[in-house]
Amino acid sequence: MNDAIRMQISAFVDGELPDNEADLLLRRMGQDAGLRRSVAEYLAIGRAMRGEACWAGVDGIHERVADAIDDKPIEPQLASEPDVRRRSLRPLASVAAAAAVAMLAIFGLQQMTGVDGVDSPGSVATPLQATVEPDYTVPQGISEQLREYYRVHGATATETGANGMLTRFVSLRLSEEQLPLPAEDDAETVEQDIDSSTPPRQP
Amino acid sequence: MFALRRPLLVRHTLVVVGLLAAQAAAADSHSPESWLQRMSVAVQSTSYSGTVIRVQGGKTEALKVAREIQDGVVREKIAAQEGNGLEIIRVGNEVHCILPDRKSVLVEEWEDQSTLFSTLPSSEIRFGNEYDVAIVREGRVAGRDAVLIAVRSHDRYRYGQRIWLDVETAFPLQTQLIADDGSAIEQVKFADISLNEKIQASALAPSYSTENFRWFNQPARHANRTIETEWSSDSLPQGFRAIATHEEKMAESEEPVIHILYSDGLANVSVFIAAADDNEMRGVSQVGVSSSFSLASGDRHITAVGEVPPITVEQIATGMRRR
Repeated sequence: MNDAIRMQISAFVDGELPDNEADLLLRRMGQDAGLRRSVAEYLAIGRAMRGEACWAGVDGIHERVADAIDDKPIEPQLASEPDVRRRSLRPLASVAAAAAVAMLAIFGLQQMTGVDGVDSPGSVATPLQATVEPDYTVPQGISEQLREYYRVHGATATETGANGMLTRFVSLRLSEEQLPLPAEDDAETVEQDIDSSTPPRQP
Repeated sequence: MFALRRPLLVRHTLVVVGLLAAQAAAADSHSPESWLQRMSVAVQSTSYSGTVIRVQGGKTEALKVAREIQDGVVREKIAAQEGNGLEIIRVGNEVHCILPDRKSVLVEEWEDQSTLFSTLPSSEIRFGNEYDVAIVREGRVAGRDAVLIAVRSHDRYRYGQRIWLDVETAFPLQTQLIADDGSAIEQVKFADISLNEKIQASALAPSYSTENFRWFNQPARHANRTIETEWSSDSLPQGFRAIATHEEKMAESEEPVIHILYSDGLANVSVFIAAADDNEMRGVSQVGVSSSFSLASGDRHITAVGEVPPITVEQIATGMRRR
């Protein structure tokens, strides 16, 4: 990778790359896994320098959008809504880039721990009242296959009529979005509410 | 004489039975189960708009939400108030995810009618020995009278829930997912809400012009078919049972994958059985409140995924056997 590419990536992650150049870079990312990793590293470094949490999956959007851009002829499809009609829809190359996946992204990709004993099996999701910052990891910790399993599980479990929200949360969470740290006032308000409503312990 | 008294006895008996039935009906209408049944209807039929606060893992985020049903068609919008302004627009089964920073729109079709807040125990849920459900107390949420329903797990294999339901409509105003130590690991709560009021069209429309955006569609999920399978888990936590078994073609696997869905009526766990691959993941992984556990078993790779504690997916996955 030459310096020009590095500068281009740096400008891209800072949001300073012109749209036309960003498009070209995205196309290259779609064909170059090494470039995708480099962009992910730049994004992670940037967040670390800004003191922000590193949200797993945040880099994935660039990768998956890039993956979606290919050189195949665009095949127009008609969707059910007028807004989509007459637009060219490009098939996503990656199943992880589903809109449903992206929807859960709104809710933020939370703690995503690695495999092979990074977390003990007995550990549970970070308690709501936790004051210690969770240890966020980069998205390489989860395979595309596992992403698809989460997605299929979410869709299937929802179809059964139970736990729709939770499964949607999780499958959507497998996308990307960087969210700011909560405002202290908000967090205190919620935590106080939770503390005051703890039900009796289970028998 | 006796002949005259029998009808009286019958009438008295009927009156007593009627009174008891009325009392039972009145009590039942105030039971936690009846609240949950009302809730399952409310989440499907209620139009609403408001602000949702979600808390998980020490993080807080705000969302503007709106949902309306017209002529049986669901229109829904969810907009993040932080970050890069992602928006989800749903019209019927079609879902658009708008990524303004990338000038892109992802399109997907959802077959189910689930909504953001339909996750909670539905009327189909059977509360057996694995959960207790109880009315805890009344309170106020988002400026409305609410009743708190607690769904408590008896063991460490599943999470419990606390659900604040609107007294008037039974719509869930606040939900919490509860770990076995009693701590809340995820909360979704309305900060403000309008129920069954006219929703402005603009509240359901994209906030951005997508005229020059690039549009991408998610390929339809590969058709799957119900199958019989030789696979089952010999160490299912109590209450879990297989409720569906499919064979699915997935992008990341050349061979069809066996997919078994286990449920205890509230918590769901999917088990995927695929051809082994050297590059497969092994061990435990967590995404939010969802856990997965993967292992190799002969020439198969087994993965269990669910909104349950990690110990549950590990136990189910490691117990998978071929008969």
